[in-house]
Amino acid sequence: MKVGRRKGRLRLRLEPVEVELLQTLFQQLEAVLDGPDGDGAEAIRDRLVPDGYRDDEEAAAEFRGLTADTLRTERDERIAACRAELTEGGEVDISDPDAARRWIQVLNDLRLAFGTRLGVTEDDRPYVDPDDPDAELRAIYHWLSAVQDSVVSELMG
Amino acid sequence: MTSTATPETAEEVAEEVVADPDRPWITVVWNDPINLMSYVTHVFMTVFGYPKPKAEKLMLDVHHRGRAVVSSGTRERMELDVHTLHGYGLWATLEQQT
Repeated sequence: MKVGRRKGRLRLRLEPVEVELLQTLFQQLEAVLDGPDGDGAEAIRDRLVPDGYRDDEEAAAEFRGLTADTLRTERDERIAACRAELTEGGEVDISDPDAARRWIQVLNDLRLAFGTRLGVTEDDRPYVDPDDPDAELRAIYHWLSAVQDSVVSELMG
Repeated sequence: MTSTATPETAEEVAEEVVADPDRPWITVVWNDPINLMSYVTHVFMTVFGYPKPKAEKLMLDVHHRGRAVVSSGTRERMELDVHTLHGYGLWATLEQQT
């Protein structure tokens, strides 16, 4: 994975294996967003649509009623857009502010899904113990973090 | 809640004190273990148009103190801010300023 500017365009360049991985992750995220409960899907959906009010359950429920569908539609739309942009060549032009926004948001949705599933805590370090049964998920999580951090660093300059 | 009608009874007066329409609402972002510090800074710059030093200070407040007030205004405006921040995956809530 590389993020860089060339001829004034900001590009995200991915290896073929990374393209394949991301396509799989996008499909999985769609299934979690729009699929049935179970296998931790509810916890991820709750994390993606947190309470808008902290000490007022009624207001929180009302707010959720107003925002949850929109948030899910926006997430579905950006996954679809990013999937379409992610071609075999693995080069995505994120010069357009809308494209940049949708890519960092979709990467964050994936990070939140993985982080929730893994129960990531403040003390976690970007190190993967090969004996950890979640080693593969953790490796993907840290890779997503690296991609997102690279894109964000380029955007902030 | 936001009514400005003249209160007529003691009970209504008390309620008015609790829900003072003049007290602004605030959007609070809470610390969470997943969102990256660089990402949170970028979101504050993008959503609120804050310059990088201000966005970084707010991000560090969230990180070290557990929460930071990132915007204030009407309840409707804060609901919009919270909705936007939820779209970015931040842990945001709104409340009336105490």
